[in-house]
Amino acid sequence: MTYSIIARCPRTGQFGIASASYSIAIGMSCDGAVRANTGVALTLGSPHPRNNYLAISLLAQGRTAGQTLTELVANDPDNEYRQIAIIDRESIAVAHTGASVRKWAGHKIGKGYVAFGDMLAGQQVVDAVAAGFDSVPDAGLDEQLLAALEAGRKAGGIVGSKGRLPERSAAMVVWGNRTYNEVDLRVDMHDHAVEDLRRIYVDYKPSIAYYEERARSPRNAIPAMEFADMLKKQQAKEAT
Amino acid sequence: MTYSIIARCPRSGRFGVGSTTFSMACGRRNESVRPNVGVSKSQAFYLRYVDPLALNMLAQGYTPASIMRTLAAEDPDFDYRQFGIIDRENNVVAHTGPGCGKWAGHTVGPYYAAYGNGLAGPQTVAGIVSGFLKQPDAPLEDRLLMALEGGRDAGGQMSKGIPRPERSAWIRVVDRVDFPEIDVRVDLHDKTVAELRRILEEFKRCRDYYNARNANPAAAIPEEEFVAGLNAKAA
Repeated sequence: MTYSIIARCPRTGQFGIASASYSIAIGMSCDGAVRANTGVALTLGSPHPRNNYLAISLLAQGRTAGQTLTELVANDPDNEYRQIAIIDRESIAVAHTGASVRKWAGHKIGKGYVAFGDMLAGQQVVDAVAAGFDSVPDAGLDEQLLAALEAGRKAGGIVGSKGRLPERSAAMVVWGNRTYNEVDLRVDMHDHAVEDLRRIYVDYKPSIAYYEERARSPRNAIPAMEFADMLKKQQAKEAT
Repeated sequence: MTYSIIARCPRSGRFGVGSTTFSMACGRRNESVRPNVGVSKSQAFYLRYVDPLALNMLAQGYTPASIMRTLAAEDPDFDYRQFGIIDRENNVVAHTGPGCGKWAGHTVGPYYAAYGNGLAGPQTVAGIVSGFLKQPDAPLEDRLLMALEGGRDAGGQMSKGIPRPERSAWIRVVDRVDFPEIDVRVDLHDKTVAELRRILEEFKRCRDYYNARNANPAAAIPEEEFVAGLNAKAA
């Protein structure tokens, strides 16, 4: 009941995740799934909550994505219910879709990314997630991730026993080379979670540089309210 | 312009943070809480690297008071920072630099700290504390939420004499394991604290189902059936 993409940007070395789900607060299941200069490893399907952390520590020890996947599967008697995707810092991408993950379920491994999902309208959703990611190759990892989710939704998204299910939560995460995330946005419970994630992202993106600069030189910072007002005016001008 | 509460549950030892602010997506600061180590939540003109650094130092064995001295010594703009730190022995410190603007301040309790900047006045922090202390036997996440509601109801944020809305809010609670027990967020919303209550309550209704499904997937009913049952019960 989720479609997702994990990726490594070949230009910047950033790692990222985007996910949309019928379950609420899918961003919580992405916790611990990325570490700078190490990798990205996300377990969904019926998530095994400790997998993200175990995988990242294996990658940090120097195991490859493939070895890490083998370890996760061996460590989990219910691995046939899990869907796992891993990319290491060499851009090696691997995935596992257990035989008991609810159908349609599957994954598609691309260059530096894995698109995957369960309870989908069909293979076309995962194909669309991948194509969406590839459609804006120069836009930056955050834009690519968001485009991937939007394409997955348009291609039919999530389907339950009685037809299409809404995306009720969505999340996107990007890490650079720091000890904390660069982008981490979530919609935890909403009737149109993917659209709402785009709304938040559009407002959020221009403020990243502002908050970084404000922390570096607080003596010269303009107040957050004034910055927000400026931004609003600028967006109104661009809209006309 | 933010107000927060950080706490260690005196019964369970769980660590938690509740925060709300005018800025978007305050819950992206998920590096601020670490199981079995502590909480370090900085704000005002915060540097993102401070919280992971403080938690690394806690994990090495430094006390919160000692970490605060290090941060003060290494930061020429320490006057512009506000933060609170709690370790696993309930040592609590908080700092509000004079450059954090009016009104800014903090209250330190035996296992919690409430603090904020760009507030209506000391009554906002007093409201956070009284909300947090209202039901001492409630689970930590509920107490954190009541604390945020208490701050909001006491006047919340203000700048240049004008009340300013909370646009994002966040609660995270960690127990002994790596993954959070609760992490719910509102990233951009007009009534963000009320929306956070709606999401937390729904999450708690689903939590047992999610945990059971992930631990024993073969026995789980489909999620859409579970949700239909919830909705039927609510109606």
